[in-house]
Amino acid sequence: MRLLSTRRARTAVVAIAVGSLALTACGGDSDSQTKDDSKTQDDAKEQSEAVAYGDAEASKGPAAPVEGSREGGTIRVYQQTDFSHLDPGQIYVSDAGLLSVLIHRGLTTFVEDDEGGLTVVGDIATDSGTPSEGGKVWTFTLKDGIKDEDGDPIDSGDVRHTVERLYAKHITDGPTYLQQWLSGEGTKYREALPEGPYNGDHLPDDVLETPDDKTVVFKFDTPRPDLPQALAMAGYSIVPEEKDTKEKYDQKPTAIGPYKIDEVNSGKNMKLVRNDEWSAETDPKRHAFVDGWDITFNHDRVDQSKRLAADRGDAKNGIQFSGAVDTSQIKSIVSNEETNARTIKGYAPYVWQLNMNMDRIKDKKIRDAITYALPNADILRPDGGSYGGEPAGGLLAPTVPGYEKGYDPYGKIENPQGDIEKAKELLKEAGAEGQSLVYGYANVPHRQEQAIIIEKALEKAGFEVEKKEIDQATYYERVGKVDNGLDIYMTGWGQDWPSISTVIPPLYDGDQLADGSAVYSHINDDKVNSEIDRILKITDPEEATTEWQKLHRYIVEEINPAAPLYFTKQLQIHGSNVGGARYSSEKSYIDVSRLFLKS
Amino acid sequence: MTTLTKTEDAPAPTGRDAFLSVRDLRVQFSTEDGIVKAVDGLSFDLERGRTLGIVGESGSGKSVTNLTVLGLHNPKTTTVTGEIVLDGQELTGAREKTLEKLRGNKMAMIFQDPLTALSPFYTIGRQIMEPFRKHTGASKKEARERAIEMLTKVGIPHPKTRVDDYPHQFSGGMRQRAMIAMALVCDPDLIIADEPTTALDVTVQAQILDLLKDLQQEFGSSIIFITHDLGVIAEMADDIMVMYGGRAVERGSAAEVLRAPRHPYTWGLLSSMPSLSGNVHEKLMPIPGNPPSLLNPPSGCAFHPRCGFRSEVGGTLCTTDRPELGAGRASACHLTAEQKQTLFVEQIKPRLG
Amino acid sequence: MLRFLIRRLSSAFVILILISAFTFLIFFAAPRDPAVLACGKNCTEAAKDIIRDNLGLNDPIAQQYWEFMRGIVMGRDFSVGRCDAPCLGVSFNTDLMVWDTIVDRLPLTLSLSLGGLVIFLTLGLGAGLMAAAKKGTVTDKTLSSMSLVFSSMQIYFLGPIVLGALVFSSGIMESPRYVPITEDPLGWFTGLLIPWFVMALIFTAQYTRMSRSSMIEQLQEEHVRTARAKGMSRPYVFFRYAWRGSLIPIVTILGMDLGALLGGAIVTEMTFSLAGIGRLAVDAVTNIDLPLTMGVMLIGATFILMCNVVVDAAYAYIDPRVRLG
Repeated sequence: MRLLSTRRARTAVVAIAVGSLALTACGGDSDSQTKDDSKTQDDAKEQSEAVAYGDAEASKGPAAPVEGSREGGTIRVYQQTDFSHLDPGQIYVSDAGLLSVLIHRGLTTFVEDDEGGLTVVGDIATDSGTPSEGGKVWTFTLKDGIKDEDGDPIDSGDVRHTVERLYAKHITDGPTYLQQWLSGEGTKYREALPEGPYNGDHLPDDVLETPDDKTVVFKFDTPRPDLPQALAMAGYSIVPEEKDTKEKYDQKPTAIGPYKIDEVNSGKNMKLVRNDEWSAETDPKRHAFVDGWDITFNHDRVDQSKRLAADRGDAKNGIQFSGAVDTSQIKSIVSNEETNARTIKGYAPYVWQLNMNMDRIKDKKIRDAITYALPNADILRPDGGSYGGEPAGGLLAPTVPGYEKGYDPYGKIENPQGDIEKAKELLKEAGAEGQSLVYGYANVPHRQEQAIIIEKALEKAGFEVEKKEIDQATYYERVGKVDNGLDIYMTGWGQDWPSISTVIPPLYDGDQLADGSAVYSHINDDKVNSEIDRILKITDPEEATTEWQKLHRYIVEEINPAAPLYFTKQLQIHGSNVGGARYSSEKSYIDVSRLFLKS
Repeated sequence: MTTLTKTEDAPAPTGRDAFLSVRDLRVQFSTEDGIVKAVDGLSFDLERGRTLGIVGESGSGKSVTNLTVLGLHNPKTTTVTGEIVLDGQELTGAREKTLEKLRGNKMAMIFQDPLTALSPFYTIGRQIMEPFRKHTGASKKEARERAIEMLTKVGIPHPKTRVDDYPHQFSGGMRQRAMIAMALVCDPDLIIADEPTTALDVTVQAQILDLLKDLQQEFGSSIIFITHDLGVIAEMADDIMVMYGGRAVERGSAAEVLRAPRHPYTWGLLSSMPSLSGNVHEKLMPIPGNPPSLLNPPSGCAFHPRCGFRSEVGGTLCTTDRPELGAGRASACHLTAEQKQTLFVEQIKPRLG
Repeated sequence: MLRFLIRRLSSAFVILILISAFTFLIFFAAPRDPAVLACGKNCTEAAKDIIRDNLGLNDPIAQQYWEFMRGIVMGRDFSVGRCDAPCLGVSFNTDLMVWDTIVDRLPLTLSLSLGGLVIFLTLGLGAGLMAAAKKGTVTDKTLSSMSLVFSSMQIYFLGPIVLGALVFSSGIMESPRYVPITEDPLGWFTGLLIPWFVMALIFTAQYTRMSRSSMIEQLQEEHVRTARAKGMSRPYVFFRYAWRGSLIPIVTILGMDLGALLGGAIVTEMTFSLAGIGRLAVDAVTNIDLPLTMGVMLIGATFILMCNVVVDAAYAYIDPRVRLG
């Protein structure tokens, strides 16, 4: 889904840090005193069921009824920072992604059942798409009655425009899957339409064809079985051609979803009101129970948590959007029955791992020694403890289909305190006792605490650790440089949609290794590279998942480019008057498509 | 004319015909270290149009006495007993409002250092106008004219423009003239001048003294002139009171005290002052020792630790008994009148030249 | 006075130019590339280059600086529209005109700082005067020791405690919020009451102590005694003579505190979840947003320079010995 390296996410990370510190200060036994009802892996299994592709029936509106729902009222949203973008083409990050559920619509979308099972369905398309030529060609037909907030109907020209504007220079921050699949890797795709559609240039019909007002055909040179899921990303939501204001669109986009922007004061607040042109009959995903949304920014996590826990006045109708309960407030909120009943919990899609720069640490025995030595449970503590995540055994998150529960080749789940003896032994075998390691980490409190824990563990195992602090704002840029001068460094990665194809290829495909790529470990293994190419072309999701699983095992056990650390979990709280609240395993936040106010 | 000229054994002054009469004034400050007896049983009288010079070292109580007359002591930390009668009006224990009406009006004060005694924040004119308006109820315009008139009187050139100047724009002598103008603006009957020339150049000193004398003649005010400079006092005072350790130790007319002083302390003061007419080779004789502690004053005569004539008295009289100051021309010393006469003529006078 | 203004304004102008140049240089000297923050997930060098191109960061630094400075006077054209003079550029992060953003945020910060200032000055000077007038009494000792306790506190410490007590646990008051005074004067007042109260608790103390000691010192001045000797009443002398003098050190400290207040706006705004210039400054630095950083720096510096001129003028007004010029 989302990457922690984009701008708003970073700001959020800085803010959590303070809370993490406080939690540690409370003492290590806080977890045992509080009954731990945080999400366990059994819950997560449901979250990682293979995604089904929905047919026309599943794509019809209205959305599944919500028990006890009623209309009316305004939901109050307390949010830390303003949304990074409102222009769909620029949306990659989770906060804007969540907002886009309310105002934007795409060709496809995910609907979710009560168990967290996901189905890709047609959103403005009649179904999740019809593949042909072995998955190389995908055809979508548009529903009737889809209009923008001005009442102008959406046709295939608007879809074409939506795709083509992604090639323009001012679109830089959104996902690039579709463009790259259609027109070439890296930034090469931009050459196909350097000015976007604004000068009257268009993609040729052998790439994107709109034979009539209702039909859109995508044509790829290799099978793209994941296309329906990719198109469900907020970044591919529709921008009506007539309404596109280029750079300015980011400030005032035109709504197609159930709400439109009534008022926006950058960095301060935003008000959403009903979009009367939206029809529930066309929408398989969204309800519009409330009349509007009143979103204010500049509430840090502590403020959000305290306001919502106190549940006074406006806050009764309040929710957190992309914020989480502050680590300093977790204990008091979950240990109180009343406030705990107002929380939602679930797995977030991130896996934190300790990358081992394979250009510098060439001996697998040394990498294994590092992996064994790490005390995953201790490392997790500064980042929220058992409510913030849980120790990871492999490099796939519980939210991704194909995740294998209990997979733990290095005993990281079984023995989360680390195995120093085994590490020492391996290091001795490698003849590398006293090996020095440069550890890079971001200069925020919880990463600094983790650095100390990691340093201690590795030195116990016989390494010499040299710590190097890196500016938080440019951390990912720094570690993403091929010549980064570091041996080990943590990164977090989340799927873009629930498929291993958005995890393993970007992180472990050596062919993509370059400055700025996500191949942080610098793994470059011929077998892995060729397997990635092969599996990406498999059209059957079940078969593909099985093959990915095998590749994942091979990477973890035979190469070990990165030590698994922990998966992250989500904990949010809402006001007592908010009904229909549940965790959205697709967005990994509260499901905003079905909220109502009880009175 | 004054009680001071009467003989030593005359009855104590009644103050009935005096303009200012101070009786048995005691001023005590409570401090963290104990009680300071700044003034300890002081009595004196002053008649209209005359000038009383008060002489003494720092800490002898001369300034405190005069601040007490004006009622400017801190009422919280100061105890005042005795009586101060100004023109028939009792001032000790008088209400603050009453005193305010007198200050700057019937009695005014000229301070030592005009630089610090004038407010830097207001123009000279305004500072002169303030008491005038307060006491006479004059309009701003009238008060301004009065201020210009006063500045003219005290000899400030271009008074019409200088009236709007600030004190820092005046020279030292001009500032003191302005201060005098301020003190005299309401034609006070009593002027207390607390070392008004000490901070000034010698040439300016003389001008200021002349000015004061001229003004006194014009206004007919009484002046209390405080100084430690006997040369100045010779020029200004009709009568002199010498203070030591919070008490008067000698008083008399200016001529008497300066020509035939009777107290060893006065002798010391005179001996420590250079004389123009005297022998330039004659050494000055400073008084040995330090001024007495007012927290723990010496027993008996407060001057006895520094007095060179204790042996003349003999016995322990000086250390046990405090000599009283009689009425009129008097000195508070255990020496007999003859001894005083002889000692002065034989030992002191030759040195004074 | 005119000469004073001309001199101060021209030196302020030079200072602002220096600050702007310095900020610009620091920005480019720091190894932080704003492109990475607008670059999504596939942040290759080529992708970043396109962004840098969009932001104009590929031009020579001198040219960028010239264009920025020229824009302040002449205005500039951007892809998002015309930016009229005084143009501080377009934010890298929000694509909004920096000038508009600052104008939008400034009223809150000014309300917060100046409102707080008025309250803590009134309370602080008042309490200080009272303590000085009643020097040594129980009132004096209470005021003095209270001021010691609170002056050692900080907004980020006291703020959450007050919020917890008045808002979260008791619900006596609403969370602080800002509405323009022109829209709803009462709402403006009540919305900012808690932050003002907390600022007042902390700053009042300092001014109480300062006002007290300065006043006690002034009351011992000779010219104050002279005024009393002229027959001026005790209150008249207290306020017209002593108080005026006691303001001189306070004005000096206040001049410094005004700068600190603006800097403190960051902490205050964070603590009370308000969106003003302080938060904008943090956002600017966090988001490597050059135009916004420049804008906030220049506005902040202008504000502080203006305060200095006002303080100097006030100083000269209080004490005529101080010459302007």
